[in-house]
Amino acid sequence: MSKLKLLAAALLATATVAGGAQAADETIAVFTKNQTNPYFQTVRVGAEVAAKSMGAKVVHYIPTKPDSIPEQLSQIEDVIIKKPSAIVFVPVDYKAMVPGVEQINEAKIPVVNVTDRSAGGKFLAFVGADDYSLGLETGRFLLKEMGGKGNVVILEGVKGSLTNIDRVRGFNDAIKENKDVKLLASQPGNYQRLQGLQVMENLMQSHPQIDGVLAANDAMAIGAIEALDGANRKAKVVGINGTKEAVDAIKTGKLLATGDYNGFVQGCIGTMVAIRALRNETIVGEVVLKPTVVNSTNYQPYDVPLEARTCPSWDQAASMATKAPTKTN
Amino acid sequence: MSDAALSRAPVRLPAVPGVAVALAGLALLFAVATPGFLSAGNLSNIMVQSVILLLLALPMTLIIMTEGLDLSMGAVLTLASLVLALTVVSTGSLMLGLAGAVGVGLAFGLINGWLVAGLSIPPFVATLGTMGAAQGLALIVSDGQSVVGIPRFVRQAYSGDVLGIPNPVLIGAGFYALFHVLLYHTRFGTYICALGGNRDALTLAGVKWKRLLVSVYMLGGAMAGIAALLMTARMNSGHPTAAIGMEFDAIAAVALGGTSFEKGNGWIFGTLMGVLTVGVLRNGLNLMAVPSSVQVACIGALVIFALFLDGMRSHKS
Amino acid sequence: MSLAGDISAGAPRIHLSQDMRQLIYRLLAAGLLCLALSLASEAFLTANNILNVLRQASLLFFLASGLTLVILTGGLDLSVGANIGLSACLAATVIKATGSPVLGTLTGLAAGCMVGICNGLMVAKLRIPSFIATYGMLWVLHGVTYYYMGGETIHGFPPGFRQIGSGYFLGIPIPVYLMVGFLVAGTLFAQRTVWGQQIYAIGANPLAARLTGIPVDRRLILVYAFSGAMAGVASIVFLARLNSAEGDIGEAMTLPAIAAVLIGGASLFGGVGTVFGTFVGALILTLVLNGMNLLAVNASWQPLVTGVIVIFAVWLDMHGRKKA
Repeated sequence: MSKLKLLAAALLATATVAGGAQAADETIAVFTKNQTNPYFQTVRVGAEVAAKSMGAKVVHYIPTKPDSIPEQLSQIEDVIIKKPSAIVFVPVDYKAMVPGVEQINEAKIPVVNVTDRSAGGKFLAFVGADDYSLGLETGRFLLKEMGGKGNVVILEGVKGSLTNIDRVRGFNDAIKENKDVKLLASQPGNYQRLQGLQVMENLMQSHPQIDGVLAANDAMAIGAIEALDGANRKAKVVGINGTKEAVDAIKTGKLLATGDYNGFVQGCIGTMVAIRALRNETIVGEVVLKPTVVNSTNYQPYDVPLEARTCPSWDQAASMATKAPTKTN
Repeated sequence: MSDAALSRAPVRLPAVPGVAVALAGLALLFAVATPGFLSAGNLSNIMVQSVILLLLALPMTLIIMTEGLDLSMGAVLTLASLVLALTVVSTGSLMLGLAGAVGVGLAFGLINGWLVAGLSIPPFVATLGTMGAAQGLALIVSDGQSVVGIPRFVRQAYSGDVLGIPNPVLIGAGFYALFHVLLYHTRFGTYICALGGNRDALTLAGVKWKRLLVSVYMLGGAMAGIAALLMTARMNSGHPTAAIGMEFDAIAAVALGGTSFEKGNGWIFGTLMGVLTVGVLRNGLNLMAVPSSVQVACIGALVIFALFLDGMRSHKS
Repeated sequence: MSLAGDISAGAPRIHLSQDMRQLIYRLLAAGLLCLALSLASEAFLTANNILNVLRQASLLFFLASGLTLVILTGGLDLSVGANIGLSACLAATVIKATGSPVLGTLTGLAAGCMVGICNGLMVAKLRIPSFIATYGMLWVLHGVTYYYMGGETIHGFPPGFRQIGSGYFLGIPIPVYLMVGFLVAGTLFAQRTVWGQQIYAIGANPLAARLTGIPVDRRLILVYAFSGAMAGVASIVFLARLNSAEGDIGEAMTLPAIAAVLIGGASLFGGVGTVFGTFVGALILTLVLNGMNLLAVNASWQPLVTGVIVIFAVWLDMHGRKKA
């Protein structure tokens, strides 16, 4: 029985800590897709940095199972009970989460849509980038570096995820622009490093000449590089997400480039819009960040620890706006 | 899996089961720790969120009582949900869609049952295989994309209520009652209990137990089809990865509820409490804004803790 | 003790003869698969690709070989994949902090082993069903790992250390040597030592094993510790191979590892199975994935194909058992 008490005490202790954290006046609930993809960590840190500079509080809600639709729906219902001041929302699926967004709307909690554009519901603003142009630009960069000819393979992410569909479509369209580029294979690595590595190993068996690799995220790109190194073969590899690891690989010349739509800045601007709306200040209706293809010439801004990065000023953010708000506050 | 056979004491339903302690303890804790927890809105939240898991956990209880397991349930639910969504979108008929979903479930149940009873393939492997098959088919029929465009009335029916009780909760309660009666007040239920611990007796009594076993798996498939209706309505769409891994949640809830992995010891009320315990834990931790990584660890600790309490008690008896 | 020896000495002989026949069926399945693949793709039957398949199978085998012992006792260890994640992240931290691959490797192995011992204690002493105990452990490990890593990765290890995963000796990848080493050691342990025999006896009839004086609890803790330690081994090879650690590194490995053991002819009811069978099981699964990549099978079809082949392989195995 003493063990039970101990557990209860421990949980209560957590409760008081968490309860105390909610005391701030403005609480922003930030929803992200999972705790495994470094990209969403950049969004979360961006949100935290922005909120801290504006004197608000951030609480994170992340599904315990990566990208779980039912879990994020439940989390929305739970959060509505707590009535946060505003919500910064990355839907795990842009279509399936629409009922969740509608529930937020019904509860009259202001919400900003970040990263993946929701197919429905009412938002203060959308801050994001589209995966399609990210895939397209990253693909184009690789093919240009290859001189517009050669053999390439695509390492796909998780089948059925929105990011994967659009990135791979972007890759394919970039390939179609170059008549002399041949797509040898397009196989799934499920965004996993080991699977990226093993799929690449297998593909090298049936294709003696591979000049370029388009990976739908950095983890698979790095896996593919390991596979190429292991077989003493050379190919130009690009990934997506602009992670720390990818930047390091670019510095050492192993990775050609990584496409990035700057989760940190998305987290910043999304949170700034939410807080400014609460304070009846002017906001923007839409910011679509242009994809950056991080490579050996422009990696320096990315070579800084996340926590040390600073959010853009509101003027800078406003100047990136692609649409005015539908209505102020 | 003969762990339980290792224990020296015979397994008996404990006087106060671990799951009841866990459920009551958690409810008390959250009621004290977080103000919103006991509100009517939140309690109805917990129940609505738990219904889909309950619909899987109920038949899973019966399947586990037969010393079986169904790992394909989450994937079958997903496939059924897509079939339902596609049918409703193209024909506009919810009934046709539901029939399709239940049909998919029954078909997979039939295959599972046939593999297990007919070919004597261990349930874990057989359903692991069909899980892959259902997952693959889900990707193929949906082409990896969400299916949207489901008529508004489906979602409206889902979020409606009767006398303040949300419709999904009514559906869950109805099926709970159905399974209770099925297990404790019909011959089918008696046979299921015997399937777990006493298959020879069934043979002697002239019962075609293989056919019975197939029907248990088909029941599981059908329930996955019905759960698919709720899942589709909840998301207002179909999605090819929606319920992946949910079978393990269901198995954990069943085990949490005190159903043993052998000898046909099942407890349907325990399953209900197991499902609610998981629901209360997740909801309470969300309300307390506990970080996701700590939540993950808490869920694991709870599962171990409740089973530990049960083990302690059966030790003493 | 002598009584225990008698029982366990008698048990494996029955299994061996049965196992031999099943093994033939299983090898036949693997052979058929190879034949079909070499007809379908000329890239398949090359020395390079064979080594490639063996190296990929080795990761799965490390995990599955430890699991085999657990499954032999009639238990299950669902936490192995999550265990890899935690062990790899801890080992990576130590290598980064101290610069010593040896310390890092020891950390990884010790962490894996500790998790295994916890599992063993829960199963043997607290009498929690292994399925639930290790499923709970899976969540606990994920939580701890995610919390510890905070969504980051640790990468970049010394070249010497990386040899464990990506190096070659006499033209053959190092992990393949490790795999053969564990295959031989595991087989000898299971078939030729008293402890190994006792493990079979526990799985075949736990009550009888207890009555004959086999220290069941201690052996159970031993097999879970083994399973954990093998997850530790896998985590080190993972690190060396991938040059980086992240929380969900082993997540996708648990079910394939269990499938490899079962395709290899082990029974979840305990007492039946061999480490060599598991090796063949791991090989079959790896061949399927390799083949689908070589033939560029559409991504959507891959889970379906894998599922059907798992069922088919086990059915073939059951068929062999019936004839035996």
